[in-house]
Amino acid sequence: MNTQAKIKEKSKTQIKVITGNGAAAIAAKLARPDVVAAYPITPQTEIIEQISKFHANGEMDCELITVEGENSAMNAVMAASLAGGRVFTATSSWGLAFMYDAVLATAGARAPVVMVNVNRETPGIIAVSSGQQDMISTRDSGWIFLIAEDCQEVMDVVLQAYRLAEDFDIQVPVMVHYDGFYLSYLSEGVDIPFQEDVDTFLSVLKDQPERTKLIPGGKMGCGSHGILGGYLELRHKHMSAMERAKDKFDLIDREFETIFGRSYGGQVEEYRMEDADVVLVGSGSMCGTIKTVIDKKREQGIKVGLLKMRMYRPFPSEALIASLKGKKAIGVVDRSLAFGFKGGPIYTELKAFETQLEGSKMISFLDGIANTDITTANVGQMIDTICDLAAGKEVREVTWVCYPEAHEALPKTGGQ
Amino acid sequence: MAEIKKVKPTKILDHFVHEDPFSKGVAFCPGCALELLLRLIPRVLGNDIVITGTPSCSAPVLLGQNNQSWHTLSYFGTLMTGAAANATGLARYYRKAGIDNTVVCFNGDGTAADIGFGNLSGAAERNEPFIYICYDNEGYMNTGIQKSGTTPYGATTTTTPKGSIHKGKNLRRMNLALKMAMHKIPYAATATLSDLDDLAKKLKKAKEAKERGFAFLHVLAPCTTGWGHKPEDTIEVCRRAVNTNYFPLWEAVDGKIRMTKTVKKPKPLSTYTELSKKFAHMTKEDMQILQDDVDYEFCILGGLSVLDGECQLPVSAED
Amino acid sequence: MSEVRFHGRGGQGVVTTSKILANAFVLTGQFGASFPMFGFERRGAPVTAFGRFSDKPVREKTQIYNPDILVVLDPSQRTWPTVFQGLLPGGMMLLNDSEDTGDISQENLRKLAVIDANKIALEEIGLAIPNTVIVGAFARMSGLLGIEPCCDALADYFSGKKLAANIGCVRRGFEEVEIFDL
Repeated sequence: MNTQAKIKEKSKTQIKVITGNGAAAIAAKLARPDVVAAYPITPQTEIIEQISKFHANGEMDCELITVEGENSAMNAVMAASLAGGRVFTATSSWGLAFMYDAVLATAGARAPVVMVNVNRETPGIIAVSSGQQDMISTRDSGWIFLIAEDCQEVMDVVLQAYRLAEDFDIQVPVMVHYDGFYLSYLSEGVDIPFQEDVDTFLSVLKDQPERTKLIPGGKMGCGSHGILGGYLELRHKHMSAMERAKDKFDLIDREFETIFGRSYGGQVEEYRMEDADVVLVGSGSMCGTIKTVIDKKREQGIKVGLLKMRMYRPFPSEALIASLKGKKAIGVVDRSLAFGFKGGPIYTELKAFETQLEGSKMISFLDGIANTDITTANVGQMIDTICDLAAGKEVREVTWVCYPEAHEALPKTGGQ
Repeated sequence: MAEIKKVKPTKILDHFVHEDPFSKGVAFCPGCALELLLRLIPRVLGNDIVITGTPSCSAPVLLGQNNQSWHTLSYFGTLMTGAAANATGLARYYRKAGIDNTVVCFNGDGTAADIGFGNLSGAAERNEPFIYICYDNEGYMNTGIQKSGTTPYGATTTTTPKGSIHKGKNLRRMNLALKMAMHKIPYAATATLSDLDDLAKKLKKAKEAKERGFAFLHVLAPCTTGWGHKPEDTIEVCRRAVNTNYFPLWEAVDGKIRMTKTVKKPKPLSTYTELSKKFAHMTKEDMQILQDDVDYEFCILGGLSVLDGECQLPVSAED
Repeated sequence: MSEVRFHGRGGQGVVTTSKILANAFVLTGQFGASFPMFGFERRGAPVTAFGRFSDKPVREKTQIYNPDILVVLDPSQRTWPTVFQGLLPGGMMLLNDSEDTGDISQENLRKLAVIDANKIALEEIGLAIPNTVIVGAFARMSGLLGIEPCCDALADYFSGKKLAANIGCVRRGFEEVEIFDL
């Protein structure tokens, strides 16, 4: 394929104002899935509404299963995937929790399912609000996790998810996360890929060896019992596939740029990192706001950068270390809690690599939980704090940015 | 001790003896049947019920937020997936501890017919001592009108939209109330908001039956926003649902069905569907399929029931 | 960049107003990002939406605390403190109302635009849904974009006769809005 020709051809664009959910639905349509399972849950519902409309108008040639619950949604797409189909479903929060057994089974079976999870608070308190706790609650499921920052990235990452999940070297299910409310309902201009370009992007999968499928008369079974060495062989292969997904995702980013003209940097995206002294590590929609505040702080002479995590599982430790090494202070922004630890989950995970960062100091910020807004003021406060940290001042290890009451004495209402 | 004279209520309003524990200005759409139902339940059953509710159209009012509530009832916010199991836990403990109680498990059709049906069936099969009330607005309304198992044939929802190839739901509804009666529970019944005397009596019978075990009420609660009828037409929609036999009113004691209202001359189904935009696109063929489904269900009821009046079976072309 | 906060009630098309405007800005090659305030939406319940419109890419994903412009679709909200909260000095307000609005004042409010959008909507589309009238009025009041992209932007939301009628609403909003300097 003549890449220069491809870039030249790509002078046409079709920019439409759509929501994050709309982008996910269109991306799913463009990927041409065989089987889609649909069950509504706020803030994902528009995805399945749009897919239903595409299906009702004959724009999507797929089996659409309007299941009676999320557990059935995952079980249905997992099975369709093992039978050889390309699949799609979407959920959030409690829906993700309700399909948990099937989520685990899907990963164990290495079914290349692609699912969108619109981040929403859970588990523990019934909440219809933004937060990444649902993603955290399934981080050990064995799925690949990708996170999008804006509506364009939602569109692009869902397409990349298919390329990654179904790659013969990978064959691990992929969950695409993006923030509920702040991104799911955000309307902004998105350059919608043309169907023929998406077909080209995914066509490389057709040239690869065919994956194992459950077919009538095929004399092969799946979901069989595993024990001892046989079990461990499967687990080791799964762990290795997840390791390979890191470089593969970087490769896919380059392939994507060739066809669509957009690159995000692969596992991580660096924003003004080269000469940064202090860094915020974040993911998802907060990154747009952080970039804006960084530009303002830079005008004041503060050398701050953003390391945006796009791949969360596998944990992109090598990329993170390479980028963060030698930085004076790092603030990790978590939109969730690590129960049993003091701070946020991504902070605790990154902290495990602290010794490889050549002296960087690291602290935790908790913000954006339960619809609290990660405002420009909040981000400014975080940057000031890591500057203090870099200057050797005493700062808190964990700052509840969205709940300052956490830093006072226990509230007077009683109870702990 | 002086004998307490039993006085029959002669007026419908006499059923609603207790206070309305809900505040004013709650977040229901104008014309919402669910609001009427929710306010009436404690007025019949008492303000000491323990009510469970799930994320749904009732949630903004029933579940409260942080430490604030829109009513004074004891309540438990459950997930859709285990509502009947939660209610089971409450009722069983209260029974063990000798605490007098009426647990009301209050759910929409999305929970009762779909995602929570498994544990509803399980609770009924075990004959758990609580009242399960399903308010049926024939779809997932709180998330913006999606189809559920009780959505009728032909209806448009956002997951069964009117497209150029597919138009509306192409599957017949599932008859939840009949399924629950087949669990042979002490009490199962259908009710709606146009027949308040019938509804109130059934609430009371459910409470009595709870002493023997599981009670189930299926209440048709039209949704003006989702069905596309005028807010002021909500009660009329209920009325026409009953008098077209779309939603017959019956009860089942230990699985034995009897009609509680016999419609001597059922009106054509079109008088019911014409009120709601969700049926507006239906062709003659669609309407016939829906009519056949309504007739089929009624015929089954007729076959299973002991009727007060005449059994109105549709005339069969072949015999 | 303009930060606009939209206020109204469920059923008036508040969120669609913000989306149509984002669409209009994008059609001119600029950038727009809009989203609704979260909470349980019900017909008649108060609704808030946010819109950022700029000639540069919009990256912030936060709610708007200091709007330049307020758009109020429901007359009953015209003097609510929550509507005016955070309004920046030199602020503008576009109000859907048919009555005398001499009672509206706020220390940062410099320009008030008023249009009887319900009446125009009833005449043009037969429904008292003011949002497309408001779109046209916004273009004129703010001076941020012309009438044509606003009309073009409707094509993603309406078709056929409804599209033509709503374009009529946009044009009348643009022509008939009254603008007062305070």
